Amino acid sequence: MKTINCPLLGWRPVSEFTAAGVLEPEPADLGEMSAAQWVFERNNVPMRRTEWWYHGATQLWFKVLRDTATDTIIDVTTARD
Amino acid sequence: MALRLLKHAFIEDYAEPRWFNTPPELKKTYDIVIIGAGGHGLACAHYLARDHGLHNIAVLDASYIGGGNTGRNTTIIRSNYLTPEGIKFYADSMTLFTELSDDLETNIFYSERGHFTLAHNESTLRTSRWRAEMNKFYAVDSEVVDPDEILRTCPQLRIDCGGNHPIEGALFHPPGAVARHDAVAWGYAKQASKRGVEIHQHTPVTDILVENGQVTGVVTPRGTISTRKVMCAVAGHTPEVMAMAGLPSPIEIFPLQACVTEPMKPWLDTIIVSGSLHLYVSQSSRGELVMGAALDPMELHSRRSTFEFVTGLCDQVLDLFPFLGGVKVNRQWAGMADMTPDLAPIMGTTPIEGFYLDAGWGTYGFKATPIAGLTMANTVAEGIDDSRIRAFSLGRFDDFNLVGEKGAAAVGH
Repeated sequence: MKTINCPLLGWRPVSEFTAAGVLEPEPADLGEMSAAQWVFERNNVPMRRTEWWYHGATQLWFKVLRDTATDTIIDVTTARD
Repeated sequence: MALRLLKHAFIEDYAEPRWFNTPPELKKTYDIVIIGAGGHGLACAHYLARDHGLHNIAVLDASYIGGGNTGRNTTIIRSNYLTPEGIKFYADSMTLFTELSDDLETNIFYSERGHFTLAHNESTLRTSRWRAEMNKFYAVDSEVVDPDEILRTCPQLRIDCGGNHPIEGALFHPPGAVARHDAVAWGYAKQASKRGVEIHQHTPVTDILVENGQVTGVVTPRGTISTRKVMCAVAGHTPEVMAMAGLPSPIEIFPLQACVTEPMKPWLDTIIVSGSLHLYVSQSSRGELVMGAALDPMELHSRRSTFEFVTGLCDQVLDLFPFLGGVKVNRQWAGMADMTPDLAPIMGTTPIEGFYLDAGWGTYGFKATPIAGLTMANTVAEGIDDSRIRAFSLGRFDDFNLVGEKGAAAVGH
């Protein structure tokens, strides 16, 4: 079973978590970008990126650094960090 | 057959004729380069050669033909969609599919089974009625049936579904079918090759050359090819190929897994789908149960399989067919599904002159193989979008003009 080493909960099965997409802070100003570009454009090649992950049982949110080519989780931090 | 065997015993050179003949060397120039030798890419090449008289075409693939999502899907063909664009498009595809064995002189094992989308609650039943009415309006055979009717066709089904989510009815689509997916790819390859199309396997495209907004060539490890038209049909690798052309994409890649059981005597002659249980199952001509589920829950550019998938899927299948408890799962695999925000494909011209897209086919590309090939061939040959694919243009995202195909996926995503 695949597990996640969580800073608060220790090793937990990945099935307890829900992946909630890439962490992408909303820009204060879209600048040159159109609203449609902000909503739809993805730079979606295989890469390392930080994502929001939610732990259902404790209702805690985590930031997870994950490689989307190999599905390896590199780092997990709490939402506050 | 026996005579042929006897004849071969006396001659030295007894090799079967090759299905497609491709010269060992790439040419310096092609009129059209198609990236991706799956069903869609090969179908496009076939219709370009047959209907438009274009023969100087190369189909390039990073791996072997039909080795991507063409060879990884669960081969279900249906047209009971929800939007007018979707219903008409897939109905045309089914018409082409029914004639495809003759067209390609290749038996694609097209087998009409009837397709049940089970409803386990009132709200699913309501959507089923909506879909049935939309389908009938566009002359697609589709109706809502009650549990007794389902049992008449599939008496093995446990209608109370383990007691947790009893089946209250289903959307029944009599023309729902399955076909041999490899045969579709190989049949198109055979016919395209006959008309002079070159199919180069193990030839990845590493870059696309663009000058002043016009495609001028593609780069491969075997050399640079100059061409004015490139058609991209690479499913799960679409964002990478679009990035080569300098285009952003709205596509996200999710793994979609499937598995087959050991072969059994024929007992399941329909296709059973349940959105609530996230599963679809049919029996192949070899007797294996071909089963699939929903997308994996996180984006991933990989074809890895997981144990969680098999256990989760089998848990649900056993609710419907408890007698399968002792049956073994033989193989499992995954494909990379290119999902768009509105679950409709992205097809046609792009802001880059000469760069054409056939992408975003997510979990529903196989059933569209002939019509996607045909409309893309028209688009590439004429340089303007075929009227049937205008609703699926890349530009729809700039205008927030989405398609909203809720009937796209057999199971909810």
